[in-house]
Amino acid sequence: MANYLKRVFMLVACWVLVSGSVGMAGTMYAKKDHVRVTVAKSPTSRVVATLKRGEPVAVIKKSGRHYQVKLKNGRTGWVFKFKLTDKKPTARRGRGGLSALTGKSMVMAKEARAGGSIRGLKETTQRYVHDKHLDPVYQKAVEAMEQRVISDEELARFQREGGVGEFSGGGQ
Amino acid sequence: MMRRRMVLMVMTVASLGLFACQGYGFFDELLKPQPKKEQPQSAEGQQESAPGLLDSLGGMLGAKQKELDLLKKGLGVVQALQPIGEEEERALGRAVAVEAFARFGGEYHNEPLTRYVNLVGHTVAEVSDRPELNFHFAILNSEEQNAFAAPGGYIFVTIGLLKALTNEAELAGVLAHEIAHVTKRHMLQTIQRGALLESVSELTLSAMNKDPQLFSNLINEMTDILFTKGLDKTFEYEADAVGVDYAYRAGYNPQGLRDYLATLQRQQGRVQSRFFTTHPPISIRIQKMTEVLAQFSDGQELPFLSQRFKEAMRSV
Repeated sequence: MANYLKRVFMLVACWVLVSGSVGMAGTMYAKKDHVRVTVAKSPTSRVVATLKRGEPVAVIKKSGRHYQVKLKNGRTGWVFKFKLTDKKPTARRGRGGLSALTGKSMVMAKEARAGGSIRGLKETTQRYVHDKHLDPVYQKAVEAMEQRVISDEELARFQREGGVGEFSGGGQ
Repeated sequence: MMRRRMVLMVMTVASLGLFACQGYGFFDELLKPQPKKEQPQSAEGQQESAPGLLDSLGGMLGAKQKELDLLKKGLGVVQALQPIGEEEERALGRAVAVEAFARFGGEYHNEPLTRYVNLVGHTVAEVSDRPELNFHFAILNSEEQNAFAAPGGYIFVTIGLLKALTNEAELAGVLAHEIAHVTKRHMLQTIQRGALLESVSELTLSAMNKDPQLFSNLINEMTDILFTKGLDKTFEYEADAVGVDYAYRAGYNPQGLRDYLATLQRQQGRVQSRFFTTHPPISIRIQKMTEVLAQFSDGQELPFLSQRFKEAMRSV
């Protein structure tokens, strides 16, 4: 009987240890929106799925700079490993805390959601430029900086040509 | 005997079930809070008068408004220790960016080259620790060799520095160092420790708009740090180490930044750069970076892309 109990105890101990470690190392999350999962290691291969920020995947194989992953729907594919993180990304504006008690978080959250936050940013800069008697041309330079859009396609083409980003380390 | 087998079978099935659930992040999904419905937008003034939980509870318990205000003030002091929000970070960064243009010759007008710098910058930024942030890159029309990062993801490099580089990996290394300052919120940490925010309970966009003097003082402090005094040495060493990692993740040979610093060291006394005064000694940075680079042995196979860099610089 003592022998039997010992075996059961050992089995439970192994179960706790193994299941815990696999769970922590196995699940990873998309760092940002539009993370592509492709059918093969090559980023130019067919796209199986596009992950949203924080979406979990189970890592089933590690190969160089890519991971083979299993999605929630059971499908598998490859992801550039530096677009995944082992820590679940937190909310971008998670500043609730004490401000929720004073009602101030409501102000911030609403400002952030509203397109008015962009307007608010511009007004803040404009007032600063005016008060400091700076040439408005510098404010326009900042706006031009913000308006320069780099599309995903342009970035992917640039990375493929140079063998960098997802195309680095033999991922062609 | 039969009982033993059944116990073992049940435990095996339970283990396998738990494996599968954890593998797919099943529990995370179960525990994930339901998304909140979008609140309709209302005027700023109305938002500010929105009552907090304390107001409601206080009313129910019969507390006086004066007592509630005192309690809120106390909570506000504790709250000042919280990180600055992303909108506020961008507001501060925008004004610092205006100052960068104003003090370093304005924008260097060369769209193909600026686009090239942005492509290299985005390749690094998308594998950084804040890939969701909208990073913006610009070239300053100054012959001084400098690079700056303003909070919120506004990154600058002077045309003087670009001329001193020899390949794309060096540019990626310089930009990665600046991106690291933003992802690690070095400037924000510095001003939060400073005297200006000591008595400020909450740094919201509304608060900054209401108090232009505070906003102006904060920008003065940040530009003074960025362009004159420099950040804390530990932040610079951290940005070097993190920058090496980001360049490696982006697929560039990670020794790019060290190579550029070696060039700058050779030029010391002959060229102008605030790196000599606002950053720790170059020799120490190179030494520390060499130690970091030893951890990236497979990084030596990654490219420098000298030819592509030369082609991008041909118009200069």
